[in-house]
Amino acid sequence: MTRPARAALLVGAVLLVIAPVLAGNAFYQRIAALVVLAAISASAWNVIGGYAGQVSFGHAVYFGIGAYASLLAFTKLGLPPIAGAPLGILASFVLSVIMGLPTFRLRGHYFSMATIAIAELVELLVTNWRFAGGAIGLMGPATPRSVADLLFRSALPYYGLFLVVLAILLALTWWMERSRMGFYLRALGSGERAAESLGVPIRRYKLYALLISGAFTSVAGSLYAVMIGFVDPSSGFGILVSVNMVVMAALGGAGTLFGPLVGAIILVPLAEMTNAFLGGGGAGAAYVAYGVIIMLMARYSPGGLAQWAREIRALVSGRRRRAA
Amino acid sequence: MLLEAKGIIKAFGSFHAVDGADFGLEEHELVGLIGPNGAGKSTFFNCIAGDTVPTAGTIRFRGIDVTRLAPDRHARLGLARTFQVPIVFEGMTVGENVMVGAFLRHPQARRAVEKAAEMLEFTGLAAQARMPGTALGTAGRKRLGIARALATEPNLLLLDEALAGLTSGEMEAAIELLTRIHARGITLIVVEHIMEVIHRLAERVLVFHQGRVIAQGTPAEVTADEAVIEAYLGRRARGRRG
Repeated sequence: MTRPARAALLVGAVLLVIAPVLAGNAFYQRIAALVVLAAISASAWNVIGGYAGQVSFGHAVYFGIGAYASLLAFTKLGLPPIAGAPLGILASFVLSVIMGLPTFRLRGHYFSMATIAIAELVELLVTNWRFAGGAIGLMGPATPRSVADLLFRSALPYYGLFLVVLAILLALTWWMERSRMGFYLRALGSGERAAESLGVPIRRYKLYALLISGAFTSVAGSLYAVMIGFVDPSSGFGILVSVNMVVMAALGGAGTLFGPLVGAIILVPLAEMTNAFLGGGGAGAAYVAYGVIIMLMARYSPGGLAQWAREIRALVSGRRRRAA
Repeated sequence: MLLEAKGIIKAFGSFHAVDGADFGLEEHELVGLIGPNGAGKSTFFNCIAGDTVPTAGTIRFRGIDVTRLAPDRHARLGLARTFQVPIVFEGMTVGENVMVGAFLRHPQARRAVEKAAEMLEFTGLAAQARMPGTALGTAGRKRLGIARALATEPNLLLLDEALAGLTSGEMEAAIELLTRIHARGITLIVVEHIMEVIHRLAERVLVFHQGRVIAQGTPAEVTADEAVIEAYLGRRARGRRG
């Protein structure tokens, strides 16, 4: 890492840690926590969707599993909701294996369509599953029984917790990027046949990527359930949950370390503020903006803001070189 | 015997692209595979590389039956290949492209970097190591494909039209590179359209026609072979000569 990059990273990290404290306003603190939460799921999606180039539009299935695992642990077993997170991770592993076997044979759009189908199917099943609350969903604890319930009035403790999980995920991604796994994922994402000919066992590596990606997305779902205290089929398994992850990662730069975080920092406040300022009638206005963003990106910058940044940097350094 | 293919048939519906081809290869050979368009050489080549599973027949590499193994298992056993249309990994530099190959034998990133640097040096791409792979032209991409394959440290390298589409200067450089690869002790199979290249490189040539090996021998022998002339030029040309 170059010295300016390291300095920028340090400044960014410090800003992330103190930003909500500086805001000092419950509304903005809540948004900050939601930003980090969205960054976790978008960064988790990024492992399979960005680095490995397998664009899943069904990651809500993992998010929903995590959220339901937490609230089922509470409603059925009387455990603190966070205790459901490990169960969610286990379930996500099982799902990754089941999902990976048939879908990894598919390439490009066909893989994306298969993942949508799986997520929709699971949403339907859960809607009709009375044990898990059916269409009504599940509630978390109304009042904290102990600290372990992680029920706080302020959003700050959630912010801190989410930030720790995000830091772990980004550290793991950073390590992966530099190691054989990162190279293999990027290679199979851009050319399966060529990657295979160089000894990359592509289906095995796709499965590794899906296991990591699914587990962290499930953790994001658990954390969401812990903070919000409620989940129903559409907020857990709905297609918009998946679309959110894809759009955030793509806007910031899919397949880059900080792209999904940057995307979340831009899009979550946009969505929360339009919902707040436009009121009930304007709820969902953010998705209109999403549509516009997707179109603009597809046309001008398929690599997201990260590609933009690279192009500007190349331009600046080129000019500097010419001047010298 | 390093590689042995027996009775290879590859059928697409009722059409037999490869129709009972036999082929044996000793260590350190440099063999050319030629034949007119549609003769089945590429399909045969893909069968050997593990990209296509033949309808019938067996292929043994270093004594192991590899007929049904996936391409990544072939690479692990020491059989590498290049592609007719080179596939460059997007978003990676030239050096990183080669590292993907190097990781096969060197799981540690630091060792893979060293191996890649060695291969870039050997193939004359060291100066372009930090460029995006997609910035290379045709000759550079073909060279990159060779560097990447060599980084897997193969015993046998299959080259699919490594010289097609090159200028005569680039072709000289490529022939020189292939000679140096062979001198490293790597066995080579070269699929090629251009007769001149085969004449200068190969010790032994196999001629494919309609899915079968119709002739084999030294380049001089096969170009004098009646069946080969007929396959390339047609019956009338043969009549005119006779």
